[in-house]
Amino acid sequence: MIKERVTIVQNSSIEEVFSKYGLSIYKIPFEKFKTNTITVCIYDDLTKDTVAKNALIPSILKQGSEGYPTRRDLSIALKNLYGAVFDGGVSKKGERQMIHFYMETIKDMYGADGEDLSQKALDLIFQIITNPLLENEAFPAKTVETEINNMKKYIEGKLNDKVSYAFERCIEEMCHDEAYGLSEYGNLEDYEEITPKNLYQHYQNLLHQNPIGIYVTGEVKDELIEKIKGKFLTLVRSKMKEIQKTSFKDAPSEVKETLEELNINQGKLCMGFRTNIPPTSFEYYKLLVYNSILGGGIHSKLFQNVREKEGLAYYAHSKLDRFKGLMVISSGIEVSNKDKVVSIVYQQLDELAAGNISDYEFESAKKYIISGLNSMKDSQLSLTDFYISGSILEVDQTLEDFIENVNKITKDDVVGISKFIKPDTIYFLHGKGV
Amino acid sequence: MKIRKISYDQINESLYEYNHYSGLKAYVFPKKGFYKKFAAFGTNYGSVDSEFVIPGEAVSTKVPDGIAHFLEHKLFEQKDGNVMEKYSAMGASPNAYTSFTQTVYWFTCTEKFHEGFNLLLNYVQNPYITEESVEREKGIIGQEIQMYQDDPNWRVYFNLLNSFFVDHPTKKDIAGTIESISHINKDTLYQCFHNFYHPSNMVLIAGGDIDYEEVFESVDKHIESQIPREMIERIYPKEPNEIRTNYVEQTMEVSIPIFYMGYKDKFRDRKNSRLLEDEGKDLLARDVAMKIILEMVFGKGSSIYNLLYNQGLIDNSFGYDYTIEKDYGYSMIGGESFSPEKVRDIISEEIRKLREGGFSDIDFAITKKMLKGRFVRSLNSVEKPCRGFMNNYFKGVNVFDYYTMYENIDFELTKEVFLDHFDESMMALSVVKGR
Repeated sequence: MIKERVTIVQNSSIEEVFSKYGLSIYKIPFEKFKTNTITVCIYDDLTKDTVAKNALIPSILKQGSEGYPTRRDLSIALKNLYGAVFDGGVSKKGERQMIHFYMETIKDMYGADGEDLSQKALDLIFQIITNPLLENEAFPAKTVETEINNMKKYIEGKLNDKVSYAFERCIEEMCHDEAYGLSEYGNLEDYEEITPKNLYQHYQNLLHQNPIGIYVTGEVKDELIEKIKGKFLTLVRSKMKEIQKTSFKDAPSEVKETLEELNINQGKLCMGFRTNIPPTSFEYYKLLVYNSILGGGIHSKLFQNVREKEGLAYYAHSKLDRFKGLMVISSGIEVSNKDKVVSIVYQQLDELAAGNISDYEFESAKKYIISGLNSMKDSQLSLTDFYISGSILEVDQTLEDFIENVNKITKDDVVGISKFIKPDTIYFLHGKGV
Repeated sequence: MKIRKISYDQINESLYEYNHYSGLKAYVFPKKGFYKKFAAFGTNYGSVDSEFVIPGEAVSTKVPDGIAHFLEHKLFEQKDGNVMEKYSAMGASPNAYTSFTQTVYWFTCTEKFHEGFNLLLNYVQNPYITEESVEREKGIIGQEIQMYQDDPNWRVYFNLLNSFFVDHPTKKDIAGTIESISHINKDTLYQCFHNFYHPSNMVLIAGGDIDYEEVFESVDKHIESQIPREMIERIYPKEPNEIRTNYVEQTMEVSIPIFYMGYKDKFRDRKNSRLLEDEGKDLLARDVAMKIILEMVFGKGSSIYNLLYNQGLIDNSFGYDYTIEKDYGYSMIGGESFSPEKVRDIISEEIRKLREGGFSDIDFAITKKMLKGRFVRSLNSVEKPCRGFMNNYFKGVNVFDYYTMYENIDFELTKEVFLDHFDESMMALSVVKGR
């Protein structure tokens, strides 16, 4: 027999109030906000076979449910809840794909007639998630067709934003034989085998077998938690699916290089590095400061050298993926300056390795990170996202703990990180005639 | 110190107002328990103010297009270094923008707010402009202008404004053109600075978990003592009650065509056609009425949205907005579509039906309810309400009055605004297509 496990996580900001049958409920109480939020996350492995199906689920559920069959019905229900915000989508957390649904309503005190708006919001989001509109035990064919078309249009349209397109292509090249190389929306061909029936079956499996995390923020009453528990436990949940941990891979002995041509003026350079630093280790905080000094703002070496000193680019920055231990440097440059910029980037890495870090760079980098972390406490969405990452990584950690760790980092710690930064792939998107 | 507290009990917020003897007004929006702090210093001076009469002079002065934006760039450079780096060393983030009607300098931080605030007051009041730095800036802004020329979303928007307006300078790019900025020099920049950066033409707003008295003391200390002065008269061309053209198209590198369409307000005789006597209240009422109308006509629950979505003519990129200023206004409806002209035809057909059939009062009531709730939600932040305050201030609108206007706006007035605005002869469509 499974015993109910009720854990009080050792901190003030988040409380795990329920965890059983792969269903976890967390509350993040807050007084200062004027709204309450509910976020429901369903987790799955990021794989070629299921990526497109998972991506389609929220688009289809947003079109209507049994109780609110049309977009108009759903829209009226949300308006009646004082313009409750409802959304759904997919995202990528390392090699895990996350389907999420989100609802936000104003606190009861701002509504009229003592209505319990949170309860009504819960009823609505639960109805959308668990009672989709069906025909012949499948999602409606017309809806599936429309949403597949919209998704394909969206995937093709990604080319319109050259900066993010180049970033994504770099990851794709770098991790072409790993799950992480997939985008959370998949590719066009991944949509070919989908039918209204197999999509609905897939969704049923998700609801009954995959881990679900529910995060409630704002003014959270105990009755609401009880109601969430009651509702979600009506789903028969057995045979829980085990979600794989994100894997690491060593950088190749020789740096890979990919060139791609499009009809554009400005070249987009992306350089991918592997650090293989575990996301829950203390080394991660050192990496965070390292990355900020290198390319995390106007104090950074890349901004100062590539942009301000040499005037070679409008933007030059570096970004980390905590789960996968990757670092990617991006810059928009003149095509003819590519080799020069690549060598300036390597020079900056050497500077860091040699310990040439000014007090201004070091202090600004830490302040910038900490200020960003503190600002997250002003947003229910950012905070929920922080704790979602925490639960995926299985760490009990508040933002304060996180900030304390960043504060402990010294210049020597940063220098020591240099040996983990291994170049993997250089990707360059350029115009014609190179 | 003359400090006034304005309370908004229904939404549980308040605002402190201080009238400085220079004519500057300063406001504090307290937000207990929030970490982020924000302050903005804005002047009632934007890209449309290129002709004006300097008090005491008989003839008007004309300055090159794009000069307000150019001046904004130049203020970041100070005698003792770049303002950006000073903020960065404090762990704060500075920025600025120039719009059609105002120029705003701001920063956000979580610590050392007063240090950042004093820096804001000081650098905005003390330009350090040299001929050499003006010439260097022409190159940088030239790059910026060209970057925007390549941005299809920016082009489709300005092409629409260009088809709406015959003479009004709001149709011109905020940054000017490479040609127009070539006429800018140190003297013209200082001239604009002295005319438009007088405290009596400016406003300050600070927000966050901060002490309002301390903020106002800083204002006393750092606003250089100046006596209030006469308002500068600005000259705008008389814009006719008609549009220049109803269709404009451009070819660029896009995978799906982008379209913006909309209706231009008939503002020729605004002073005689006010819904409410006070100019600010009139603008607020029109804006609120239009926000309700746009939601009813184009929102996800509307028949137009569903008709277009079900035919695959629009997707999630579909959106709508309304802009209103003292002497002009327009709506915009847009997104990505393979058949923008078909979208326009369906929309104008449905609008024709709505003009005859009208709206349901139930729809009106729940839309009001929705927008009231959304306004309350927007107060979950330090920055958003402060920015909203700044964007509305010079129009004579207090952003915190939106809530009561949503509550009180009446159905008949809303219908009147609808009939007035959605006039087919004032409709235009702008499209950017792929090669």
